[in-house]
Amino acid sequence: MNRAGAKTRWGHFFWAAARQLAEIARLTVLGAVRSRRPKGELVRQFYQVGNRSFLFVLVTLGFTGMVLVFQSCLQLSQVTGDLSQVGSEFIKYLVHEFGPSLTAMMLATRVGAGIAAEVGSMVVTEQVDALQMCGVEPVEYLLAPRFFATLVMAVVLSVFGTLSAILLGGFAAHQTFHVPYAVFLDFDKVRLVDVFTGFVKALAYGAAIPIVSGFCGLRTSGGSEGVGWATTRAVVFSSFAVIVLDFLISALALLTWQAA
Amino acid sequence: MVVLSEVRKLHLDPTKPWVLDGISLRIKEGETCGLCGPGASGKSLLLKIICGLVFPESGHVEVRGTDLLRASAAARRKVQSEMGYLFQNNALFDSATVFENIAFPLRQRARLARTNVDEHEIRERVEETLRGVELLPHAQKMPSQLSGGQRKRVALARAVVARPPLLLYDEPSAGLDPVTTARIYDLLAREKAHTGATTLIVSSDLAALRAFAPRVLMLYDGKLCYDGPQEDMEQSDNAVVRQFARGDIEGPL
Amino acid sequence: MSRVLASIGSAVLALCREIGGMVLLLGYTVALALLGRFDRREFVRSLYKMGVVSVPIVAMTALFTGGTMVIQSGIFVQRYQAYGLLGWGTVYAVLREVGPILIGLMFSGRVGANNAADLGTMVVTDQVDGLRALSIQPIPFLIVPRVLAMVAAMFCLLILGDAVAIVGGMAFGKLLLGVDFASFWASCADAIKLWDLTVGLIKGCVFALLIAITSAHYGLQVQGGAVGVGRAVNDAVVAAALLIMISDDLLTMVLR
Repeated sequence: MNRAGAKTRWGHFFWAAARQLAEIARLTVLGAVRSRRPKGELVRQFYQVGNRSFLFVLVTLGFTGMVLVFQSCLQLSQVTGDLSQVGSEFIKYLVHEFGPSLTAMMLATRVGAGIAAEVGSMVVTEQVDALQMCGVEPVEYLLAPRFFATLVMAVVLSVFGTLSAILLGGFAAHQTFHVPYAVFLDFDKVRLVDVFTGFVKALAYGAAIPIVSGFCGLRTSGGSEGVGWATTRAVVFSSFAVIVLDFLISALALLTWQAA
Repeated sequence: MVVLSEVRKLHLDPTKPWVLDGISLRIKEGETCGLCGPGASGKSLLLKIICGLVFPESGHVEVRGTDLLRASAAARRKVQSEMGYLFQNNALFDSATVFENIAFPLRQRARLARTNVDEHEIRERVEETLRGVELLPHAQKMPSQLSGGQRKRVALARAVVARPPLLLYDEPSAGLDPVTTARIYDLLAREKAHTGATTLIVSSDLAALRAFAPRVLMLYDGKLCYDGPQEDMEQSDNAVVRQFARGDIEGPL
Repeated sequence: MSRVLASIGSAVLALCREIGGMVLLLGYTVALALLGRFDRREFVRSLYKMGVVSVPIVAMTALFTGGTMVIQSGIFVQRYQAYGLLGWGTVYAVLREVGPILIGLMFSGRVGANNAADLGTMVVTDQVDGLRALSIQPIPFLIVPRVLAMVAAMFCLLILGDAVAIVGGMAFGKLLLGVDFASFWASCADAIKLWDLTVGLIKGCVFALLIAITSAHYGLQVQGGAVGVGRAVNDAVVAAALLIMISDDLLTMVLR
C-alpha cells in the first residue's frame, strides 16, 4: 500500500467518499425513477417521513414565525415606524426562503437521523450483506423509497410549515404590536417566481437529505457505537447540505430571476 | 466452481501486514470443504471475498466462471443470487416475518429473471423448507421473538430455500449448545445429501467438521497452511497445524 | 373516540415524563455545578472534544449563513435602493437571530448527537454501571463536566461564528451586490449595539444548556443495543431542535 504522507491519504479518503456519495445518489435517483417497488413499502415510507414530522414542523415553524415577526416589527418600528408592510414582506420572505429552509433543517434532524439509524443498524447486523446475497442492490432497495417519500414530504411539509408560520406570525403581530389581521395577511407581494424559488429549494432539500443521510448510514462500521456516530454525521451533514443549498439557490435566484 | 489466485487483503489495522497474503485455492463442483484456523485469521473475510461482498487488494477471484473483480454489478448480483450464505450472526431482516425472510430470495430470483411471481409456488417451497428445519409453526413470528437456535435455523432455511449450487456457511454452530449444534450439522448434512451443492464451511469446531467435511483448509498468518483430508491434520509436518488439530496448549500458537 | 382520547392522554403523560426527567437532571446538574463538585479533567477533555473539533463545521456554517443573510437583506435593499442599510440588516439578523439558531442547530447535530451517542454506547456496554460499581457517581463525573463544557464551547464558537458570518457577509455583499466593505461597515458601526451581540450570546448559551440536557437525558436512557442508540440520538436531536425554537421565541420576547 502507498503509505505516503497524511495529506495524500486524506485526499484519497475525500475523493473516495465523494465518489461513493455520487454513486449512491445515482443509484437512489435511478431506483426511485424506475420504481419497481411494492406500493406498500412506499406508503409506509410516506407515513414514516411525513406523519411523524408533521406536528414537529408545524410547532417549530409556528414558533419561529412568531419570533421573526416580532423581531421584524421591532426593527421596523426603530427605523420607519410603519408596520403596514410587515405582513406582506414576511409572507413573501417565508414563501421563497424561510418556509422551505427551516422545514428542511427540521427534516434534516428528524428524517436524516431516522434514515441513518435504520440503515446503519442494518449495516451493522449484516442485513445489508444479506440483501446483496439475495441478489438485491441495497442502495436502490433501501434508499429509493425513502428518497421519494422525503422529496414529496419536503414540499408538502414546507407548505404546511409556511402556513403555520404565517398564521402564528400574524397572531404575534396582532398581540404585541396591534397589527390588524387584515393588514398582516396581505398576499399581494408574493409573485410566481417566489413560489418557484421556494419550490425548487424544497425539492433540492428533499433530495439531498435522504441521499446524504443514507450515505452516512451505509458507511456505518463498528457495532452500536457505529450507529450512533452515523446518526450524528447524518444530522450534521444533512443540515449543512441544506445550508449550502439554501445559499446556492438564493444566490442563483438573486442573480437570475431576481426573486431570491 | 471456485478459483482463488494469489488473493491479498490488507488488515484494517495499518500497523499490521496483510491479513490474507497470497491465498490460492480451487474448489471443485460438488466438493465439501471446511475452513478453520485460529481466531481473527481472516476466515470470514475469505468467505466474503468468495461471494463478492468484499474486494481484495490484488488477486483473482472466479466463481462459477465469473471473474468477480471485473464483472459488472449486475453480473455480480446474478452470481450472488446463485449462492446461499449463512451469516455468523444470522442477519435476519428484523422487520419481516420468518416466512417473508425465507421467501425473500425466491421473490428476488423471480424479479431478476423477470418472471412473474407465483405465490403458490413460493408458499409451497417456503413451507417445505420450514418443515425441513422444524419451524413451520413459527412462520408468522418476527425474528426478535425467536431463540438463538431458532434464528440460526431460519437463517439456514433462507440460505438453502432457492436450492443454490454453492453454499457458504460462516460458523454455523457459534454460540450454540452441543445438542443444537448437532441438529444444525445434521440439517447441513441432509441438505448436502439432498442437493449435492458445493459447500464451504467456516468453523473452529473441528469435532463437528470431522463428520461433515472430507477436505479441510487451515488459515494461519495470512496463508493456507494445510489443505487435505481431516484425518491427516494431526500428523502434519506443520507444528501449527498439529497443535490446532490436537487442541494442545503448548506450541507455536 | 375514547381511543383517541386515550392516545392523546398517553402522549401527554409521555411528554410530561420526558420533560420531568430533563428538569430533574437540569436541577441536579446546576446544583452540582454551583457546588463545584464535578470532574475537572473530564471538563477539559470535553472542551476539546466539543469545542475545538466543532470549529470547522461552525465556521463553514457561519460563512454560508452570512452569505444567505446578505442575499436576503439584499432583496429589500435593492428594492428600496437603500444600500446603506445592507450592513445593519445583515449583522443585526446574524447577531440576534440567525447566528444563534443556525449555529445552535449545527451544534446540536455535531455535539449534542455525539454526546447522546457517546453516553448511549456507554450505557449499552455497561460502562455506566461499571462506574457505579466503582462508586463513582455518573452525574458529577460524566454529565456536569460535559454540560459546562458545552455551554463554554458554544459561547466561544458563537463569537467565532458571528465574526465569520459578518466577514463572509461583507465578502458576498461585495461580490453579489456590489456593496463595498467601507459602506457595509459604516452602516453597522453606529447602529449595532453591544446589546445585540449579548442577546445572541445569551440565546446561544441557553441553547447549549438545552442541547446538553436533552442529549444527556436521552443518552442515559438508552435500551436495546445498536438500534436503541440510534433512536436515542434521534430523539435527543429532535427534542433539542424543538426546545431551541421554543426558547428562541421566549427569549426574543423577553430580551428586547
